[in-house]
Amino acid sequence: MAKKSGSVMVVGAGVAGMQASLDLANSDYNVYLVDKSPTIGGMMSRLPCIGFRGVECQRNMSADNGAAPRSEDSFPTNDCAMCMFSHRLNDVGGHKNINVITTSEIRNIEGELGNFDVTLVDYSDDEKESKVQVGSVILSSGSQTFDPSALDFLGYQYPNVVTGEEFERLINESEPGTGRLMRPSDKQEPKKIAWMQCVGSRDINRGGNGYCSSVCCLYAIKEVSLVKERMGADLDCAVFNMDIRTFGKDYEKFYNNVRCQDGVRFMKARIHTISEDPETGDLNVRYMDEAGTVLDETFSMVVLSTGLEIPKASVELANRLGIELNHYNFVKTDPFQPVQSSRPGIYICGLFQGPKDIPESVTEASAAACLAGTDIVESRGDDLEKVEFPEEIDVSGQEPRIGVFVCNCGVNIGGVVDVNSVQEYASTLPNVVFTDSNLFTCSDETRDRIKEMIIEHKLNRVVVASCTLENRGEMFMETLASCGLNKYLLEMANIRNQAAWVHANAPDMATQKAKDIVRMSVARAANLNPLQEKIIPVSKHALIIGGGIAGMNAALSLGKQGFDVVLLEKDAQLGGFARKLHHTIEGKDIRAYVEELVSEVNANDKIQVMTEARIIGSKGFQGNFVTQVAVGSGDDMHNIEHGVTIVATGASEYQPKEFLYGEDERVLTQVELSDRLEEKGASDIESVVMIQCVGSRNEEHENCSRICCQSAVKNAIHIKKLNPDARVYVLYRDIRTYGLLEDYYTEARRRGVIFIRFDRETPPELKKTSEGLVVKIKDPVLQRELEISTDLVTLSAGVVANDTAEISRIMKLDRDSEGFFTEAHIKLRPVDMLNEGIFVCGTAHGPKLISESIAQAQAAASRATTFLAKDVIRLSAVTAKVDTDHCVKCLTCVRSCPFDVPVFNEEENCIEISETLCQGCGICASVCPRQTIQLSFYEDNQVTCKIDALLAG
Amino acid sequence: MIVAKRKPFDEIKDMLKGYKKVLNVGCGTCVAVCLAGGEKEVDVLNAELDMARRLEDNPIEISGFTVERQCDREYLEALDAVVDEYEALLSMACGAGVQFLAERYPKKPVFPAVNTSFIGVNQDVGWYEERCRSCSSCVLGMTGGICPVTMCAKGLYNGPCGGTNNGSCEINKDQPCAWYMIYERLAAQGRLDCIMDVVPPQDWRNQTPRTVIQPGYKKPEAA
Repeated sequence: MAKKSGSVMVVGAGVAGMQASLDLANSDYNVYLVDKSPTIGGMMSRLPCIGFRGVECQRNMSADNGAAPRSEDSFPTNDCAMCMFSHRLNDVGGHKNINVITTSEIRNIEGELGNFDVTLVDYSDDEKESKVQVGSVILSSGSQTFDPSALDFLGYQYPNVVTGEEFERLINESEPGTGRLMRPSDKQEPKKIAWMQCVGSRDINRGGNGYCSSVCCLYAIKEVSLVKERMGADLDCAVFNMDIRTFGKDYEKFYNNVRCQDGVRFMKARIHTISEDPETGDLNVRYMDEAGTVLDETFSMVVLSTGLEIPKASVELANRLGIELNHYNFVKTDPFQPVQSSRPGIYICGLFQGPKDIPESVTEASAAACLAGTDIVESRGDDLEKVEFPEEIDVSGQEPRIGVFVCNCGVNIGGVVDVNSVQEYASTLPNVVFTDSNLFTCSDETRDRIKEMIIEHKLNRVVVASCTLENRGEMFMETLASCGLNKYLLEMANIRNQAAWVHANAPDMATQKAKDIVRMSVARAANLNPLQEKIIPVSKHALIIGGGIAGMNAALSLGKQGFDVVLLEKDAQLGGFARKLHHTIEGKDIRAYVEELVSEVNANDKIQVMTEARIIGSKGFQGNFVTQVAVGSGDDMHNIEHGVTIVATGASEYQPKEFLYGEDERVLTQVELSDRLEEKGASDIESVVMIQCVGSRNEEHENCSRICCQSAVKNAIHIKKLNPDARVYVLYRDIRTYGLLEDYYTEARRRGVIFIRFDRETPPELKKTSEGLVVKIKDPVLQRELEISTDLVTLSAGVVANDTAEISRIMKLDRDSEGFFTEAHIKLRPVDMLNEGIFVCGTAHGPKLISESIAQAQAAASRATTFLAKDVIRLSAVTAKVDTDHCVKCLTCVRSCPFDVPVFNEEENCIEISETLCQGCGICASVCPRQTIQLSFYEDNQVTCKIDALLAG
Repeated sequence: MIVAKRKPFDEIKDMLKGYKKVLNVGCGTCVAVCLAGGEKEVDVLNAELDMARRLEDNPIEISGFTVERQCDREYLEALDAVVDEYEALLSMACGAGVQFLAERYPKKPVFPAVNTSFIGVNQDVGWYEERCRSCSSCVLGMTGGICPVTMCAKGLYNGPCGGTNNGSCEINKDQPCAWYMIYERLAAQGRLDCIMDVVPPQDWRNQTPRTVIQPGYKKPEAA
């Protein structure tokens, strides 16, 4: 058989495709990232705000430091995800292992896993065809929003009826300064806005899409929150919905925060028609409330929360590639193989796999990257360009010889700033020995020229006057390094944003300002010193904590790539909570799957399993951890060296204190009901009442447990299948059968399961009478109290995190108030933890389905692989250093560091800032009252010299 | 730790209005730790003064020098060589430091830039709370480690008084009643007998500056 390719093709450059590409590229695979549009970013780059924590970004774009909120106090804002996303666009665009191919599509894929021949067609080049060889393929072609035009009763033809996406653009375009929203028809401020949920979702009558799109509830709530923030309490916001589905991690808290604001209503209703008053442009919404009363209400604007669907082009692509789709045109997957398509070697992630929000898309993308990479693991690194750097030139003692390269950035800078005069001016500045101007300084040709000029003119400092270090710094630093100049001898003057963009209407002043900025940068360049990056070896071992489905999947994913894994399990056997479960809602046998996993884990010689294991101690940092583990009850101690850690400690079912649980044996949890159905069947059951949200969405546990609605629906269908005459009632607050699970909710209703809604304030009551159990509830449809006599009451008990207080303390891992581990970024880094080299997966992160746990476990393995694939890690030389002789140990740095890096070393009796852990944010340097901390590359004189240069001008 | 707070800027500016060349002396110990008078605050204050005086067309030449501790003469020595160049000294140390500086350079006007606030604890960055009035006769042993002199508005040795109000003090419901806390803590420790006897009042009259000489040490002859 032919040797496998070391390249992967990723189709679709949205948030999922980008994540998959980055994971693979950082694991030393060559990536072809193909998108049919001219740019990368996908749907996400069109949204002004991607999620509830993104609210802040509207207010303060510069607030982002990449750190996740650390406490409940800062919830739900504090970090701006858009800034992070634009960083990611840069990471993809500038990555040397990622080849971005835009305006192109896949015509065909021939061959098989390891050796696919992909035929691409380029639409920008007269539909020219080209061939690329890859070993595996990831499809992440995303979705489109549902077009509501065909549903005329929704009034989309009227100017003041807009879709959610259009509404977000309106908010974004709203009047600068005041930020007030104007409606399309007459540019007046709306007084009342209505949101219509489930447009094109959960609708088999007219919309045609029976599934739940999973994202519209949250985005509607986010829109309410954004618009309320701008327009204040006078604006009336009404969200017409069937159920509010805020099932994601912490989403319920966000919903509660928005729900209780003045002038915000969430109404259970069905929409009849939306019609326009042609005089005023206002809209009349005719709807039916829960009790069946038809009502009319007038709104200034209506937002249609349109769902997601698969574009025709994706369906055709799947057909061409021979990939099976389901009845909604999502790619058909197995619950135990969530990112695997029907064609070996082709993986699937993001919305093409099923409707989902950003974190799940990003997670699946990493999971797909893991499997796509594993397929061709023997060829890892083979397709990469080898870059060898010459030995570093010693510049110590040399007078600064500065080269200034001024960029036109096409017309981006050159269209406003007089670049030639800036270049001329630069040549008059002290220490400048060479200047140049370029159309695109970041192009390959210009960078080659910079290299030549460095050598020819013996430059020892380089100033690039273009954009920012964040944007292109890494690229130019590499250019310096490639000709032997230390990469930290680079300075960038941001004349694009600071001059050309903000003063586009005043070219003369923009040019003058560009000169000022260049003068400042030249002054700084003269003060730069070479810095050495710390290089640390990576221990190619992984430690996985928790031997449930997530932990075992993570272990296998790494073991199959040849990395050594130690898998710790606190119990005597592997399997975790899944051992208590029977079948998935799709009917898959969970216990058989667990047994299969266990034997696969045991058979893999790369995986060492330690059961009855306890973590006693832990030290070290990314690439070099040492964890002390005690096995069994005795003193069998192990010191495990590992480069990465994956936390998969799992969760359990909440043990209810409510509804006579534990007092009456006829009151069961859903898990216990499953057991009972397996053991005894349902022939003896006349009626069952299921009560939802027990131990969830209440004061004690504010969040939604995500999976209990589907557990109830699963068991309800099971009972109905076993005994169609049994009466099954589900008492619920909102049914949250998100995504494709909605089909099962529909099936349950079709089979005669009765769903009765109740409010948080008026929960059902359970009484024990001489005739048996009686449940009292107020039926909102019938508008009267019901009493239901029943044989069994089943409590849909929520998900509670396993007790990890000890592990979290020893390993310094952040957990939220519910005890679930905290990810580095809720949307864009859902499996990374804040500590580098540590990842989280499964229910340790939050409640989730088995299929979601598996995807997250594979994702964690993928993220871990980006570390393990490397022999060494190079750490940024931008770190803080403390002058311990003058430090007064006031602890201000210890308390101010968002990453908890500075510590008081009791042995040395001084403050210590670890070079390996420091993130280089500079906060400690700025707060130190004795000014004893300096941040390399941003030392005091390297900053103040710029101010002096500015004032001297 | 001694906690201080910088004086209002206008007050500092006013004190220095007749001087053109001033040395601002920081202190690297307590006031640095409480973010009132270390290197950073010296720099910040100097920059503010520089700007304000320039705007008034009355420029000031102001330099900074932060010593390890202004209450130790060995550390003040470092200033001897430079003090003569200046018309006046500004001190960002606590009241003790200011006086020690003034004592060392009796010919120079010395001005305080901070108000010395109290002896306290650091609750978090920038957040300090008073805990001790340095009364010279500590009763913490019998009061469960809660100082009635500092924490009780009346500084009572026998309490609580009639103003105790469900755990709060009569002066303010956010102010806890010290004697209530003392009672609770001692009750929890089973040590209520500690406060059963009436303690005679402290003689607060005729307070004179106190001196401490640790056992085994004596006052140096020269001092």
